[in-house]
Amino acid sequence: MQKKLVVLLTLVLVFSVFSVVGAQEVKNPDTFIEVNMGTIDSLDPHYQYDSASAEIIDNVYENLIKFNKGNINEFVPHLATEVPTVENGLIRENGTVYEFPIREGVTFQNGNPLTPEDVKYSFLRALIQDRDGGPVWMLYEPLFQKGSLADVVTEVLGEEKSPSELTAEESKKVYAYLEKAIEVDGNSVVFNLPQAFPPFLSIISQNNGVGAIIDKEWTIKQGGWDGQPGSIAEYTNPTKEEDPLFDTMNGTGPYELVEWVNGEEVILNRNDDYWREPASIKKVIIRMIDEWSTRKLMLQRGDADIVYVDKQYLPQVRNMDGVEVITGLPNLYMGAGLMNFNIVTEGNPDVHSGKLDGNGIPSNFFSDIHVRKGFLYSMNYEAFVKDVLQGDGQKGRGPIPEPFLGYDENSPTYNLDLEKAEEHFRQAFDGELWEKGFEITILYNTGNDVRKSAVDMLKYYVEQINPKFKVNVRGIQWATYLDKLIANKFTLGFIAWGADYADPHNFVVPFLASDGTYGGFKGKNYIEFAKENIDPLIEKGVSLTDPEAREKVYKELQNIAYEHAIDMYLYQPTAQVVMRDWVEGWYYNPIRDPGQYFYSLDK
Amino acid sequence: MISYIIRRLFILPVILFGVSLLIFSMIMMLGPYQRLSTYITDPAQLKGVDDVEQLIAKYGLDDPWYEQYGRWISGVAQGDFGWSESAGAPVTTAIANRFPATIELALLSLIPVIFGGIILGVISAVHHNKLIDHIIRIFAVIGWSFPSFVFGLLVLMIFYGVLGWLPPGRLSNWATEIVRSAEFANYTGMYILDGLLNFNFAVVLDAIRHMIAPVITISILWWAFILRITRSNMLETLKKDYIRTARAKGLADNIVVYKHAVRNALIPVVTVAGQMILGLAGGLVIVESIFNIRGLGQFMATSAQQLDYPGVLGGALYFGLLLILINLFVDVSYAVIDPRIRLE
Repeated sequence: MQKKLVVLLTLVLVFSVFSVVGAQEVKNPDTFIEVNMGTIDSLDPHYQYDSASAEIIDNVYENLIKFNKGNINEFVPHLATEVPTVENGLIRENGTVYEFPIREGVTFQNGNPLTPEDVKYSFLRALIQDRDGGPVWMLYEPLFQKGSLADVVTEVLGEEKSPSELTAEESKKVYAYLEKAIEVDGNSVVFNLPQAFPPFLSIISQNNGVGAIIDKEWTIKQGGWDGQPGSIAEYTNPTKEEDPLFDTMNGTGPYELVEWVNGEEVILNRNDDYWREPASIKKVIIRMIDEWSTRKLMLQRGDADIVYVDKQYLPQVRNMDGVEVITGLPNLYMGAGLMNFNIVTEGNPDVHSGKLDGNGIPSNFFSDIHVRKGFLYSMNYEAFVKDVLQGDGQKGRGPIPEPFLGYDENSPTYNLDLEKAEEHFRQAFDGELWEKGFEITILYNTGNDVRKSAVDMLKYYVEQINPKFKVNVRGIQWATYLDKLIANKFTLGFIAWGADYADPHNFVVPFLASDGTYGGFKGKNYIEFAKENIDPLIEKGVSLTDPEAREKVYKELQNIAYEHAIDMYLYQPTAQVVMRDWVEGWYYNPIRDPGQYFYSLDK
Repeated sequence: MISYIIRRLFILPVILFGVSLLIFSMIMMLGPYQRLSTYITDPAQLKGVDDVEQLIAKYGLDDPWYEQYGRWISGVAQGDFGWSESAGAPVTTAIANRFPATIELALLSLIPVIFGGIILGVISAVHHNKLIDHIIRIFAVIGWSFPSFVFGLLVLMIFYGVLGWLPPGRLSNWATEIVRSAEFANYTGMYILDGLLNFNFAVVLDAIRHMIAPVITISILWWAFILRITRSNMLETLKKDYIRTARAKGLADNIVVYKHAVRNALIPVVTVAGQMILGLAGGLVIVESIFNIRGLGQFMATSAQQLDYPGVLGGALYFGLLLILINLFVDVSYAVIDPRIRLE
């Protein structure tokens, strides 16, 4: 009797456990599930600077204007009622004044109404917070022609001082300087720029957290900047744990944050009081699952609607039932090999002997243009795109990717040409290099197979040119890779840049400018060259308001990068999206990629 | 015995201090730029950095090691184990959030692993060199030599991909909603137990359903170890004189095996079982990743990868604590199983 009962109970248990099996119809019609990987850095729009965080920000907070359905050349109003143009008189004084009439009747998710004061507060809070390594430099450039709050402090006080050490008096002076750039005028907010800066609209547009509008009253209540001129020191450059908006949100957007379990999932609920039509999807779940097989099975079972898929796994989903795969989406991204003009040779095994003696390379190895050209002609760009990227991308033509101003599909580029490579290597160091040969180690960070393939290809071709040329390839941890870059100890290093905002300025500065993020890695010989030949052009390109004149400048920069063989512009990849075919309303926005805008989606 | 336990517990902080110092000094052998990679995980993040030295100063990475250690240890003294960059949360929160999932999985797996292993080992030994012994042994060897990422994926593919019975994660969406709602009291964070305490049996069933696949994976892979130790010890014990005596005096076979032999064969098994508990409670990176269970294994792996030293230290302290407590538990168990062993 008892035995039978146990068996029966077990059967009931097993049955009830397995009975919750769904069929392959539209699963969870009211809920949208995205399965992604990685971690979200912060939910503070002015702090975060990574694509996983940006996706959440983009659905909860809103900016003054946004791109028209992913067209990065056309803006439409968002929290502003009009997009400023010269024609409608909202861009004035030769492009130095921008006026945004603020939309009325918009409320934040806590019920507070949106006011022009909130807009002003939002920008000032971003400027004051300006955390190291954060995104706020994007605002300092157009508004003050500076790089950071520290630069402003130096200008105002006439001496260098850390913003976190300002006294209340000094803080007030700095604040007065900042405040002049952003004024409330009736129901409008007016930005005063020191000089014309055409990318300004792209920078503050939706999809970029630095221009997100937050609620002043609420932020102060959370412990954020109190709105006082004298308190910069207290609120500037916080660590993540000091930032009150790190894990809480209150925007005007179509979704509101329900819960964020870091590393696991984010849950968003529809904002039913949204100022436009509420979204059709009631609830959004973004799950972080690093294991590809698990993501794949969830897609296959319909338990996920959109899944992040690495390029290498695309063939596994191409023919999956009920799954739609869209590839070939233009990606605003450039993968390039940087050549270090002045390698630090001390304690650096990658230069071997550190001299031009056939057993190593000298510090100024890449300062010789013939060495650079020799390397550029020793890369098989076509095979790289075809085999390594599996055709999902194209060769780079310079720092500027398609479709920005200055990109020209007929501009000259380097191709695999070992004869020309030999010609240049023979001329390098007045023929000494060819006679003695060299030995170099090129690094890649382990786990990055694309970079490994690029380095392997270089080795393969360069070593064919002269038996005295020796190229070693070594994989190192990201930590060490970073160390090598910062300490100027890398020889030739592959690195990539993705767009912060939609303008070529955002590509020529990091790659080419003397104080650009990557320009600075390339050593003093490069910096001297760039100061003379590049910086004035960059300056010119960003101060002209006429698009045609700008285009000419960017084409010239693109050409200088080619003529002087500055970097190895290897590839501009394309993006892809993989989703269930019941997903409707999806469109591609290159500046938001890879994040989704759930407001437009339905299923 | 009690004084023994107390003495062992007194040494605990000393050992943990040593562990933290050792790990800290190993991390400090890396340069400040390398340790900056905790915060800069992608070259693109260097965009907004116009002066790397500023960042290093902000996180105090170029301070002397004793100052950095001092900051950490004085935080620890106040219960603040620091901020784990890889988890994006304070270390204590990060561990506390992942602990229930790991323990739930560990407890559920221990039952089949240890008891299943012991029972199979005993059966194998009793039927030495018979067919059943061979089958069990082959089975064990296969399980033991299967890499967990292969076997785990296989289980997931069959039971989730093909059959759709056992989905990954810890709960279904509807159950997650219940668990996160205000009406549901989260006592332990272990959903099966919490479901029972809330009398919400739908949640309990859902949680069990999600745990079956990882538990199967762990059991098949792990019980081979216990099985083989039990088997060899049983074989040895069954040859002992006192077993022959017991048989000679006419005791029933069952009593000879289960009362006299098993108990004596268990001592080495307890040692191994202790290690297994440690391994399970420390988290299993691969099983956790495949079945999407956010446990401690993943936390420790990512914090180590990212050189997130508060995370690494927090994980190491947790693991050290576990190690000491479980070893103590094992020592005490010896005394319980074998009265000849005295703890002094």
